[in-house]
This record gives sequence, C-alpha cells and structure tokens, in this order.
Amino acid sequence: MIIGLKDINKTYPGAVPLHVLKGINLEIDKGELVSIMGASGSGKSTLLNILGILDTYDTGEYHLDGVLIKNLSENRAAELRNRMIGFVFQSFNLIGYKNALENVALPLFYQGVSRKKRNAMAMEQLERMGLADRAHHLPGELSGGQKQRVAIARSLITNPSIILADEPTGALDSKTSKDVMQVFRDLNSEGMTIVIVTHDPGVGQATGRVIRIADGIIQPS
Amino acid sequence: MLDLIREIGQAMRNNKLRTFLTGFAVTWGIFMLIILLGMARGVTNSFAERTSGDRSKRLNVYSGVTSKPYKGFKEGRWITPDVDDIERLKADNPDLVESVASYKYLGSTDIASVTDHISKSPEGVYPAEQEMYRIPMLYGRFINDADLRSLRKVMVIGTDDAKTLFGDAEKAVGQRVNAFGLSWLVTGVYDHEWLSDVYIPFTTAMAIGGTDGKVSNLQVKLKGMKTMEDADRATSEVRRSLARAHDYDESDESALYMHNRFSSYLRESQSFSILNMSIWIIGIFTLLSGIVGVSNIMFVSVRERTHEIGIRRAIGAKPRSVLLQVVLESVAITALFGYIGVFLGMTVMQLVDMAFGSSDFMRNPTIDISIAIEVTIVLVMAGALAGLFPALKATKVKPVEALRDE
Repeated sequence: MIIGLKDINKTYPGAVPLHVLKGINLEIDKGELVSIMGASGSGKSTLLNILGILDTYDTGEYHLDGVLIKNLSENRAAELRNRMIGFVFQSFNLIGYKNALENVALPLFYQGVSRKKRNAMAMEQLERMGLADRAHHLPGELSGGQKQRVAIARSLITNPSIILADEPTGALDSKTSKDVMQVFRDLNSEGMTIVIVTHDPGVGQATGRVIRIADGIIQPS
Repeated sequence: MLDLIREIGQAMRNNKLRTFLTGFAVTWGIFMLIILLGMARGVTNSFAERTSGDRSKRLNVYSGVTSKPYKGFKEGRWITPDVDDIERLKADNPDLVESVASYKYLGSTDIASVTDHISKSPEGVYPAEQEMYRIPMLYGRFINDADLRSLRKVMVIGTDDAKTLFGDAEKAVGQRVNAFGLSWLVTGVYDHEWLSDVYIPFTTAMAIGGTDGKVSNLQVKLKGMKTMEDADRATSEVRRSLARAHDYDESDESALYMHNRFSSYLRESQSFSILNMSIWIIGIFTLLSGIVGVSNIMFVSVRERTHEIGIRRAIGAKPRSVLLQVVLESVAITALFGYIGVFLGMTVMQLVDMAFGSSDFMRNPTIDISIAIEVTIVLVMAGALAGLFPALKATKVKPVEALRDE
C-alpha cells in the first residue's frame, strides 16, 4: 500500500463552513494506475490537494509510502513533495522563460543537485519521452502534447513514489489525449504508481481502477 | 549559489524593460551620491593638504594692547613679544612647546645690484619659515641654522625680484646685493604663488633693527595636541608665561593677540565631517527614492509571478529559497544599476578633476576604493531591504496556486 487514507475530513471555514471531505477511506497499492472521478464540487480537487501535500486536512490519517503526512512544516512538506510526488497539471505549468531541459531539471535544483548532473538527468528523461531534439525549445515553441510530455518528464526526474496528474488531458485534443494516456500506461507498466484526477470517462476507462467521489464521499464501486 | 544567480539573470532578462526602468532610478540616486561625495572629497582634500602634518599644530603670537589695568599700569598699553620670549616659552612649558620661532620685519629699504634696484621690507626668519609657508626653492638654498648662528648677511629672494636685479633668476645665486649699507650674498631664489618677501636670517635682522629686543611675532610649535582641551590649555599656558614676563593680567586676552591654528583646525575638521555626513544623508535619501521604486517593482513582479512561484513551491521549493530568490533579484538589480551609477559618477568626477583638480578649493575630487566599498555595502543593504517585503509576500504564496489556471 503506497497511499492510505483513513477517515479524512476537511472543512473550509467561513460564514457557512463547507464540509468538503466527509470521511474519505482509500487505499492505493504500489504499481496501480488509478483515476479519481467526480463532478465539480464533489471534493476531488480537495482530495488531490491533500494527496499532493499541497493542502492540509482536519482529521484522519494520510500515509504516503509509509510516511504519516500530518502537521508538517512548510519546509518538510516542500521536501516531501519534491522527493515523493511528481505533479502533472492540466495547464502543464511549465515556466515560460525556461527551455524544456531547464524545466525538467528544476525539481533537482531544489535538491541542490549540480547543474551539470541535473541537466544530464533531465536529458535522460526527455529522451525517454522522445523529446531529446526539443530540449532547448521554450514551452511556447512546443505543441500541447509535447508540453505535457515535458511536464511528465519533470514529474519523473526525482524518481517519486507516485505521480499525481490533475486533468492531464483537459487541455489536449482527443488524439493527443490518447498519446498522453499511453505514456501514463507505459510508465505504469514499468511499475510507477499513478493517480489521475479527471472528469473525462475516456480517461477513466484507460486506468486500472476508477474511484468515484461524490459529495465528499467515495462511492462504492 | 551560482545556480541561483543564473535563475535571477533569467528572470531579469525576461523583463528587460521593467528591469531597466527600475534600475534607472537607482543609477540616478547613486550617480548623485557619487557626485556629491566627490565634490565634498575635493574640498576636504584641499583642506587636509593645507593643514597636513604639523603645520596646524602652531600658536602664533602678535603684539596687542592691554584691556585690563595691572599692577598699577593702566589699560591701553602696547605689548610686543621680545626675543627672550623665544627661550622662555620653551623653558616654561616643556611638555607643550616643541620649539619656538619668530620673525622680524625690518623697514622698507633699497636693495640694489650693479644693474638695478628694488624696494622691499626684508624679513628676518628662522629656517622653519620655509616649511610653514611651503616656500619652494628654485635655485640655491633657504636660510639655515648656520646663517642664524653666524649672523650671516645672506638673502633669499623671489624669482620676480631676481629677474629685476639680475635679468635672469638662474644667475642670482652667488651674486651680491647692497642693502642697509651692507653687502649681502644671495643664497637662494624661490618661486611661490603669492609670496614675494625678501628673507634674511632672524639673528641678522635683530642685529640691524631689533636692538630693543622686540620681535614681530612668536611662532610656537606645539606638541601633544589632540583635542580642543589640549589646544585651549596650550593657549592659556603660553599666555600665562608671557603675562608674567610682560607684566599684564593673565586673563587679559587682548594684551598679546594669539592665534591657535590647532583650534581652528579642529573647528574646520568638525565642519568638514558635518559636511560629509550631510552629503551621505542627502545621497542616501536620493537613493531611497530609487530603492522604493525597486521595492515597488518587486511587488509587481511577485504578483505577476504568483503562478510561477506556486509551481516552484509545488515541485519542492522551500519558502526560504523563494525568499532568497526575490531578495537576491532585488540586490542584483540594485547592485547592477548602482554600479552603472558609480561608473557614470566617477567618469564625471574625473572630468571635474581635469577641469578644477589643481585649484585651491578642490583637490583630487575623485572617489577612492574605500568609498566604492562603502557604496557597495549601501547598495547591497538597500537592495536587500527593497526586496525583503516583496519576498516575504512571495513566501505566502501557497503551492495550491500551481493548480489555478493562468
């Protein structure tokens, strides 16, 4: 078990407190390719934030690869995100003024890896994505599919425990979407644990397990 | 660290126009600071040169009129220093007085060579006179101690007089002139901006015109002078010695006129350091407006890059590295454009130096390495300060920002 959620609750405070996650229990095993599906407002974004250590939860327990993720300092959270989680976003989130190679290498910059070494490692990942010839192009000069593959290369470079993808095909056409999903399936077949948050049933079907969330509760399948 | 600098360079290149406009304000501030400091430096240098070495540690005594009755004498009596005071002052105040010199003006007389003549008032001097007034010798030598011991009839004249008397200043040394019905040997010709006196040995002058022992002034060279208290003590001790010898009230300040150059030196030094300080204050406030500009622009930059900072945070940037990046970016902008200002300022000051560098009121108005280091420290601190608040704001950016659409 690489992800273990036990009775996770999250309430956004306010004039009318919003109880978004109402006791989430979820286990994901190593090597799984899982999709989390739900309508907007179902709490899937909040769940993704908690899984990605981008946000905190109120009660319950979240174990990631044997580490209890609770009451972490900003620094510790940043370190765990850097080492354990690879993020892939809907809008790619590449830094516009850095070329593909520098974007891929950026997580290693925050680990203090030397420039030479991290560029070599980044090149390796770009080759794996078939983008070696685009290494020195800026994101603006790449197509959507290429950008997303650069983003996937970046998520892989720290050799994380899981990859968290937030609507990774949301900004892509159907042909490119299929290509990107194929990349995820290939990575999964090499043993990578991947969690994809999506509302696209096509994407869901391409994963090994679909977890449906509605109104802050996981629906029985 | 090198990596971080690369990151910053990239961010700056990414916003060239904005970086330039921000930097210009800093350049201007530093430029003004350098110009002002350079001018102050020039004026201070010229003051320092005028008062260099022991030249300022002197007390001059001139004759005066008493203002208080004393031991039956009425006020309004002329008091003139005399030749005995020279030894007396030294003997009375061995811890304050290093040496005493004097001079004696003789009345106007005719000085004649075989070809021409001039009318002058020769001045009997000690050898120290040369150092006091910075008299540069052109040919021959100045009056020396042996001249004083042997009451030699030797004369040192200015280059204009030498030309008048002998046609050519170079030929004057070794020639003889007639004055006071005596024959004198010209031993030296000097060239000075504004002095044109004729110098003879003090003792010779006293033998001719000072048989009453009266001298024109006393030049007391002081020692151990450090503070205003030292200077005031020297003045009052010298006055006490002279009051005893000349029978006047030792609290009577007008009986003998005293000018303590060291007190004036201290007062002037103080006003120069105040001048220097005001210039730093003016310069720093000018710079401050540039800094506020940098700070402002860093705020804009942080806001514009909220999404980027979010991405960096999501993939593992710690708050500290975000803080450091913004602060260093601010320092880099400030330092880079500051140095452009330093360079422009120094160039202008070099031009000023070429135009006025040798004049009396301004000497070498250029900025040296110590000022450059001070300016560097100011720049780095200013840049860090300008970046600090925007940077603290940047650390508040949550990694969740990365998930928001641009």
